[in-house]
Amino acid sequence: MSRATVDSPGRPVARRSTRFAAWTVAMVIAGMVFAFPILWLTSTSFKSTTAFLSEAFPLSWKSFLPSEPTLANFLSIFENFHFERNLLNTAIVSGGQILGSMAVCSLAGYAFAVRDFRFKRMLFALCMVPAFLPAEALIVPLYDVVKSLGLVSTYWGLFLPFVCNPFGILLMRQAFKEVPSSIFDAAQIDGASEARTFLLIGLPNVKPALATLALLQFIWSWSSFFWPLVAMQDPAKQVAQVGMANFATAANTPLYGEMFAAATVLTVPVVLLSIMLQRYYVNGMMSSSVK
Amino acid sequence: MIAPAVVGIMVFQYYPVLVAVVHSMQRFDPFTHAPIEFAGLDNYIRMFTGADFQTSLWNTLLYVVISLLIEIPLSLGLAVLIDRKLPGTRFVRIAVIATLAASETVAAIVWAQMYSPDQGLLNGILGVFGLPPQSFLSSSGQSLISVVVMSSWKNIGIPTLIFLTGLQAIPRDYYEAAAIDGAGNFRQFTKITVPLLRGSSVVVLFMSTLAATRIFVPIVLMTQGGPNGATSNLVYYSYEQAFQYNSAGTASAAAIFMLAFLGVIIAIQFKVLGAKDE
Repeated sequence: MSRATVDSPGRPVARRSTRFAAWTVAMVIAGMVFAFPILWLTSTSFKSTTAFLSEAFPLSWKSFLPSEPTLANFLSIFENFHFERNLLNTAIVSGGQILGSMAVCSLAGYAFAVRDFRFKRMLFALCMVPAFLPAEALIVPLYDVVKSLGLVSTYWGLFLPFVCNPFGILLMRQAFKEVPSSIFDAAQIDGASEARTFLLIGLPNVKPALATLALLQFIWSWSSFFWPLVAMQDPAKQVAQVGMANFATAANTPLYGEMFAAATVLTVPVVLLSIMLQRYYVNGMMSSSVK
Repeated sequence: MIAPAVVGIMVFQYYPVLVAVVHSMQRFDPFTHAPIEFAGLDNYIRMFTGADFQTSLWNTLLYVVISLLIEIPLSLGLAVLIDRKLPGTRFVRIAVIATLAASETVAAIVWAQMYSPDQGLLNGILGVFGLPPQSFLSSSGQSLISVVVMSSWKNIGIPTLIFLTGLQAIPRDYYEAAAIDGAGNFRQFTKITVPLLRGSSVVVLFMSTLAATRIFVPIVLMTQGGPNGATSNLVYYSYEQAFQYNSAGTASAAAIFMLAFLGVIIAIQFKVLGAKDE
């Protein structure tokens, strides 16, 4: 009120503040609509399967919040179903994919950005075109390829196909391009070997890009479902996403409580990580789609 | 230095395409699954004349069109909302990023529960407004659109962030100048924002089309292509042929067809958008 009198004669400010309020309400609604499934899933994971089945419908506060919060689902997935094994498998596959991709993509990115060699443009195009191939359509032939390499049902088979990622190569090439070329020239004049130049001068200058690549590969491999569903036939080595889906599909009566608990375990850490590392995540998503 | 990358890309990206081309023209032994003879275009002919395939092809088109109709206006709206520096901006931004980081598997499973006709939350909410319960995924009329809604929720972050980048590149002076000339918010939006977002729109159109043709995980987890093939698309058709009917030849033919199909759609989009420029 006091501001209104100071600012200017009443009406425009009043109109501005209603509009301000309207925008804020729009924000909150939009945010809620998008956040809702994740919040609901987390809240439901603290409900027993019976409570979930009886309380979702008809609608009451119990449809949204656990009336008798319990940790039983979380205990059950670890004690009865050894979900930690699935998580460990996912960690192994993610680790392989992240490290492999950081090595392969930074090497290729460095060469494409800093060095000159024959057929450079052609080879670069060759590396970029697959970005437009729909991976899902090629899962079946990819399975045949991985099978002929003898990698079906191995950890290697799960991550090796995704190590050489066109986006990763592009990301690293852009990063190395932004490093002043005089640094590399100086190293060469000083007689540093190519390996030394790359490891000691190149890599320390592209740390943010490496972090972005690692984060994206982590989220991609952590979420991957279709490929492990097809290429991993050994239940002991199955990844967590498939393990979680099995709670819903494999049993005669779906284990909803366990399913929500597993989904929460899979979702909350990644979502928090992506929010904390928003800058890297958003930049990475953008360079993997726009550039 | 590029050898590992080139080898990896050849082996895991190009070679599968080649394998698909070869397999699509072979006949397979139904028991050993080994290719036994050259079949010419038999697999393609069998595929094109099958009703399953025709439904899947038609559905793939529906997935693309409906996804674009939902995602383009919604992501533009969200981007405009996030672009305003107001309380709540960060919340919307974080919510959109969260949907992007959550896995498609989790998303499909949670939405399947919300869609459940008897005990689903959405029917509970409809009931509050006095609306009759819907069957969502189990009705052939609503299942495809239900899958698209879920998948658009999951994917909206990408077009939103692309539009947001585009919006932030528009100089503020343009709006100030327009405001001085007396242009209202709506006119500013249609005369400045929309034309200057053309570049971003092309990227969004392209990315969303690619994403919509690739929808697979939600189909496997929510509907298995049903009811009666109502949600099956080309990816799902290929998967079913390969892993449920053991028909590697037809599965490969479908994969090759899908590459060609995407190529044609994207070529048309470029052509139409390119023509507008002149």
